[in-house]
Amino acid sequence: MLLPCVLREFFRWSTLSMRCTHTLRLQQLQPSERGLHTQAQQFISRHIGLRWKPQTRGIKNRHNKRTQSQEDEWKSKNKTVLTYIAAAGVGMIGLSYASVPLYRLYCQASGLGGTAVAGHDADQVETMTPVKDRVIKITFNADTHASMQWNFRPQQSEIFVVPGETALAFYRAKNPTDKPVIGISTYNVVPFDAGQYFNKIQCFCFEEQRLNPKEEVDMPVFFYIDPEFDEDPRMARVDTITLSYTFFEAKEGQSLPLPGYSYK
Amino acid sequence: MSTAMNFSSKAFTPRPPDKGSFPLDHFGECKGFKDTFMKCLRDNSFDNSKCRLQSKDYLQCRMDNQLMAKEPLEKLGFGDLKETSPSQEDKE
Repeated sequence: MLLPCVLREFFRWSTLSMRCTHTLRLQQLQPSERGLHTQAQQFISRHIGLRWKPQTRGIKNRHNKRTQSQEDEWKSKNKTVLTYIAAAGVGMIGLSYASVPLYRLYCQASGLGGTAVAGHDADQVETMTPVKDRVIKITFNADTHASMQWNFRPQQSEIFVVPGETALAFYRAKNPTDKPVIGISTYNVVPFDAGQYFNKIQCFCFEEQRLNPKEEVDMPVFFYIDPEFDEDPRMARVDTITLSYTFFEAKEGQSLPLPGYSYK
Repeated sequence: MSTAMNFSSKAFTPRPPDKGSFPLDHFGECKGFKDTFMKCLRDNSFDNSKCRLQSKDYLQCRMDNQLMAKEPLEKLGFGDLKETSPSQEDKE
């Protein structure tokens, strides 16, 4: 009589390892502590699959029913908790994806734009005062891409400016070919750290510029050095800033040429 | 162009100009003003402070010939030149 009970107990113990602790505690009860009625009910409901509602008389049965409903309550509580955790996880993933446009909106609203360290205020040009005792030499450099046939050069090799003063400089470009050529340029400022103080009011870069055959034009650059340049300790030893423009050819449907090869 | 080798120092990011791009002066309408400016620069050993009047004239020419958006001169940093145009050269 006792042996099948012990075997049953072992079987139950191994299969119910995932159940909640209260149920486990119930299982740990010695067979003698539980009523025969309870064991029989559980045995039948598990192996035969019948939902046999026994007569609910007696203290032990009531205790079992209470624990059964408590078990259900725990199960539902667990489910809710798991749902909340899963929702939080999905929410975190969604937030990480949404952070990109949100950050962009924030930058637009706050005006930082992600790149400004020294404030690039357009109204600053009106109110800034030149720092007359700090003279900086600006040297100019002009480059073209290997396949770009324009003659592009600066019209002055250097110019002396002070921070806070707007300055004008000229480049010249000539198209020696017989076909109109569209060029687009970009620029570079050396030293890199000084580049953040180099503000261009207007120039000829980043937009397509078209030159007719045999045409020569002057290209101005209107710029200023931010007055805060003088207050930056890292810039204390910077006397020369080099502005370098590079022209590339822009054509519709153009495939990038191999570097080092030029073609007509 | 900025190379990929700048690991420690800050890489340079080109910024677009504040007021956009100058349209090209295909007809050379302001070439005279430009030549005056360049001559002034060469005479004053490329000191920009001494040639601000000429640069103001050049930009004024551009605005007059619709090669540049019209702006009050203060916004271009020439506020001090507006009041004292002939005496500016004497001061410098």
